[in-house]
Amino acid sequence: MPILDLQYEKYKLSNGLQVILHKDNAVPLVSVNLWYHVGSADEQRGKTGLAHLFEHMMFQGSQNVPKEMHFKYIQEAGGVLNGSTNFDRTNYYEKVPSNFLELALWLESDRMGYFLPALTLEKLNNQKDVVKNERLERYDNQPYGLAWEILISNIYPDVHPYNWATIGSINDIENYSLEDVSTFFNLFYSPSNATLVVAGDFEEAKAREMIDKYFGSIKSTNSVSHPSVKPFNIKKEIFIERKENVQLDRIYFAWNSDKAFGADDAALDVLSDILAGSKGSRLYKKIVHELEIAQDISVFQYSGKLAGHLMVVATAKPGNDLDKIKKEIIYELDILRINGATEKELTKTKNSIRSGFIYSLQNLDSLADQLNFYNFYLDEPNSFSNDLKRYDVVTNEHIKTVAEKYLTAPFVELRITPNQ
Amino acid sequence: MSLNRAVKPFPKEEISFSLPEIENFCLSNGLRVLHVKKDTLPIININLVFYAGSKYDPSGRKGLANLFGMVADEGAGIYDTLALSDELDTLGTSLNINRDSDSIYYSLQTLTEHYAKSLDLFCDVLLSPRFEDAAFEREKRKILTRILQIKDAPDELADIAFERIIYGDDNPYSHPVFGYADTVQQINNAEVKDFYKNFIFPSNGFLVCVGNITADHLKKSFEDKLNTWTIEGTNNFTLVNSKETAPKIYLLHKEGTVQSEIRCGHLTCKRNEMDYFPKSILNMILGGQFSSRINLNLREDKGYTYGALSRFNYHKDAAHFYVSTSVGAENTANALIEIDKEINKIKDGISGEELKFAKSSMIRKFPSNFETLRQISVNLIGKVVYGLKNDYFNTYIDSILKVTKEDVNKAAADNIFPENIKYVITGDKNIIRPQLKNIMFADVVEINSDGEVIEG
Repeated sequence: MPILDLQYEKYKLSNGLQVILHKDNAVPLVSVNLWYHVGSADEQRGKTGLAHLFEHMMFQGSQNVPKEMHFKYIQEAGGVLNGSTNFDRTNYYEKVPSNFLELALWLESDRMGYFLPALTLEKLNNQKDVVKNERLERYDNQPYGLAWEILISNIYPDVHPYNWATIGSINDIENYSLEDVSTFFNLFYSPSNATLVVAGDFEEAKAREMIDKYFGSIKSTNSVSHPSVKPFNIKKEIFIERKENVQLDRIYFAWNSDKAFGADDAALDVLSDILAGSKGSRLYKKIVHELEIAQDISVFQYSGKLAGHLMVVATAKPGNDLDKIKKEIIYELDILRINGATEKELTKTKNSIRSGFIYSLQNLDSLADQLNFYNFYLDEPNSFSNDLKRYDVVTNEHIKTVAEKYLTAPFVELRITPNQ
Repeated sequence: MSLNRAVKPFPKEEISFSLPEIENFCLSNGLRVLHVKKDTLPIININLVFYAGSKYDPSGRKGLANLFGMVADEGAGIYDTLALSDELDTLGTSLNINRDSDSIYYSLQTLTEHYAKSLDLFCDVLLSPRFEDAAFEREKRKILTRILQIKDAPDELADIAFERIIYGDDNPYSHPVFGYADTVQQINNAEVKDFYKNFIFPSNGFLVCVGNITADHLKKSFEDKLNTWTIEGTNNFTLVNSKETAPKIYLLHKEGTVQSEIRCGHLTCKRNEMDYFPKSILNMILGGQFSSRINLNLREDKGYTYGALSRFNYHKDAAHFYVSTSVGAENTANALIEIDKEINKIKDGISGEELKFAKSSMIRKFPSNFETLRQISVNLIGKVVYGLKNDYFNTYIDSILKVTKEDVNKAAADNIFPENIKYVITGDKNIIRPQLKNIMFADVVEINSDGEVIEG
């Protein structure tokens, strides 16, 4: 499909910064999307949450940009901006009217090259408080809010870099010093550890000139080494039960699975959709629609650079116990593993994925981020068509194989139930 | 190189931006249509909007419009619930019925190549819903369970209690869209079917279509499908004005919560009234975005919260002003004091710098409000629902440009009333109560999870 074939220019500055340019002048906007190849997987135990706290610090100003002004300058230009951190990477992005491209490049380059001179203890203490509140708001004060953290700390072993949540522990966050922050910057925020995507309405020669002007003189620090891990599977079942202040019982399962773009990754996505992606999916139909023993069911394949896991989550309807739900879930997994999917199910899932791809092209921000995503995982930004092809070629045999390979192995089971 | 990084780059030229062209016409059955053609991608987005939101819920049946919306796509024509869902998935089409306080939205997003078949299914849902008893009972149990789950969510509890308290029980905007457990319990399937007759008819709504389709094609395809659809219902609605009562702090106790959810504010005038633009600028400065006074104070200065905001929230026939944040439990009173300070201070006037920033931001952001099909649809729907003038989008930038500092200060004087503010807090009273003793600006009463006062 031609609309999924995105033209781009990719090159490297002498300091190692990778640049990807993609022109699209449908609207007079331009997205600047910068990925630093560092995430919480690069942290150490006892120093968790630093990659994410650091992302916050990047919005606290740099040598030529006073505190609060990074946001303000972009907003004044009518732009939007943010950043996010996960296991593998940290991204920063601005979407501005096309005449403000230079402003966005100036801001990103100033914090890439001249962050340290503006770092103060006062800023660090303030953002520690903000991040602690972020954790409270999004995890501790949410019903079932700690489930993710519990699951990953069990499905990945202690030595695995995916063993802790990106937000980090309150205790670790409280203990960070200015030195921790500057060491982290020197280790990971080198231009040679980053990729800059500019997508949207711009003139290529001018963009190249501006990128050179603002980023070209930033010095690279030492080359970065990322953790590597051997494939890992838990050896026996792990069962965890927690009482919490909630109304309904909820059950979680997690299996070790394949990493992002691994040979089984797409088949596991298809399997997840067949199980719980729609009203007519197997588990939804059975336990939510027909038996009404569950209020909701979801299945998804989480996959990162180093590893992946498949999760099943179901909430019990009042008066129904989790054993019954578990029995139905295991039964449906067995049936799928033995008999496979129908042709109709495969078509449904593949078509939904295909239209999802096309719908996602509407937003320049997510398009720019997707170019960086493909570049990071596949070293090829223009991978929309190939990515879609991964799903198109999934066969019934492949579904059965991945169900056998991953879902018959030991798993983590977590139950969260009301405390009175 | 002589690059001086201290100089902030600023463009010499402004960009040119042309608004998408909106075509207006009516179908022969009277249905009003707004259409924007956008061909960059092979996608069509359709919203059929009916004035049928939760504000029309009869007393004792709060949650009826919502439950109608849940049941209305559970099977249609020759398809039962699952068959219909399968048909849509096979096309990769999404069809949803969304509900809010004013409207019900039949929303369709499809690839151009599947438009004809998707439209067939859309019209099946619109014209031949099944309303089977089994589906009704199932959806009713689903929403009752959902309502039960809200007890776990401090943020939702705070929203629900706050709106009930500021609008007051007699006002049709006071209850949550999904109703209350006891009122939903009372609803039967006959009432859902009546709702369909009373509200889903051509002259009670309008259609918005954006995307890869010509006006002619759109018109013809809908004329063919909807030529027999002319039923006329009756939708009655009277707005009961809310009574102002004395400011209070309403406390919803949740044992062991580590943060307090705070909502505070009061009623204000409607969306289509004269001072919309000064009010928007006022709110940008006060709490409408990251660099606002409230967020910079509570987050970037004090570190009490991950974020704090203020907003004028506009229903079709009523509106309110509010501040919303969640803060570490130990800082509940401190946060209230700072919010109160900012609300009072905005009445002392804004600076020229603040005005310049807000205007620049709103004007320059305008083109990006028309990026995706959904954004364009939302803009068009707002234009109709709020009854905005025909050239609203064409004059949008001028409307902002002409706002003066005096206009904004007048908007603050006319719309922000610190003495009328009501505060709702969801959190642990054992941590919060002792803090409140030290701030005497309002009495404290406790409320239950539906927002009703349980102790004076």
